[in-house]
Amino acid sequence: MAVDESQRTYDHPLYQQIERIPGVSVALGNIDQLLTWGSANSLWIFPMATSCCGIEFMAASASGVDLDRMGSIPRGTPRQCDVMVVAGTITVKMAPRVKKLWDQMPEPKWCVAMGSCAISGDFYRDIYSVIPGIDTFIPVDVYVPGCPPNPEALMHGLLRLQEKIRMSREGKLTQEELRPESPPNLIRPAIGRLQDVERDPLTNQEQTDSAGGLGLGDTLNLSQIRQLRPEPELAEDGDGESTR
Amino acid sequence: MTGHEAQEQFVALLRERFGVAEIPDGNYPLIDARHHFELARVLKEEFDYRIYSFVVASHHLATADANNDGADVEAAHYEVATGVRCVGAPAHLASWRVRIELDRAIPTLFPLFAGADWQEREQYDLVGVRFDGHPDLRRLMMPEDWEGHPLRKDYAIDTACSPWR
Repeated sequence: MAVDESQRTYDHPLYQQIERIPGVSVALGNIDQLLTWGSANSLWIFPMATSCCGIEFMAASASGVDLDRMGSIPRGTPRQCDVMVVAGTITVKMAPRVKKLWDQMPEPKWCVAMGSCAISGDFYRDIYSVIPGIDTFIPVDVYVPGCPPNPEALMHGLLRLQEKIRMSREGKLTQEELRPESPPNLIRPAIGRLQDVERDPLTNQEQTDSAGGLGLGDTLNLSQIRQLRPEPELAEDGDGESTR
Repeated sequence: MTGHEAQEQFVALLRERFGVAEIPDGNYPLIDARHHFELARVLKEEFDYRIYSFVVASHHLATADANNDGADVEAAHYEVATGVRCVGAPAHLASWRVRIELDRAIPTLFPLFAGADWQEREQYDLVGVRFDGHPDLRRLMMPEDWEGHPLRKDYAIDTACSPWR
């Protein structure tokens, strides 16, 4: 069956970037435009979700709003992601970890501050352990306000980010709009000890032994256990402690 | 045994064996700090209170005699409220308070209840009350290099936390 080329429409965005030569299967295009189209429409999102905004992020990625339509996909590792969505309150203890994950992401990368807490700290701003906005240590490209923002707002933020990526690749943004830098002295460098290396191993052992619900230095025999919760299935000859 | 009877049993125990004269209405009974561990031990071993429910410490500033009318002036102190719960019906919660000076420590309940470990660490971290005999009294929630105890009354809201404020 012959195809009538004159009746064929090209409504995919990709076809707006290229120019077909009629009659032959050759298309001409600008590589830069293709790269722009590709980089704006294949955003892999690293969800840095610490609190309730994370739930809205999940709703946005689920089938109702479906962020996947925009070419994005949530990904659990920072090393393969392009966008970090910080969804939730960031505390003083969490901030170095967020910074570390941000540093692990390869360039080019963008950051979306989702919700009031990530933007400014919101009403937790003056609490001793909360940092007043993530832009004190990460350059934020798009702010999505709300407490929490609904999924459509996050989708709108993502569309604005795509717009920003396109504009920056086309050279329409100034340097500060391109990547808002934050003062370097606001970056808190050191991460403290991550493991309980100084803890007494004997204490660990005691707690592990007592984790069966018996308490420290405590012995319950089988009849007492049966008294507490009468279960006929409890083996008569079995070791009461190990089977629990 | 109903919950009411269990409470009466607990009050009788406090009166007879720990010399608590006053049982306040609507608040936890205040017992001497020396009896803290012993009360928990008796409750656990004799009355089967096996669940360590909570420990909440609070910091109280010294009260000033502002009007010079001879009102009672209290020194700054900690109040530590502890609650243990018995297993099975009626699941009664036995709770009491202990008042200690700022420079003193309260005996830990860790030898009786393993669950006291992190709860006491949390109270030490946030309020600053020290638990004597705790095997591992380090900060739990705040960063290891944090200075001060943020839930104390004398911790100013604008305390500097470099580099954030």
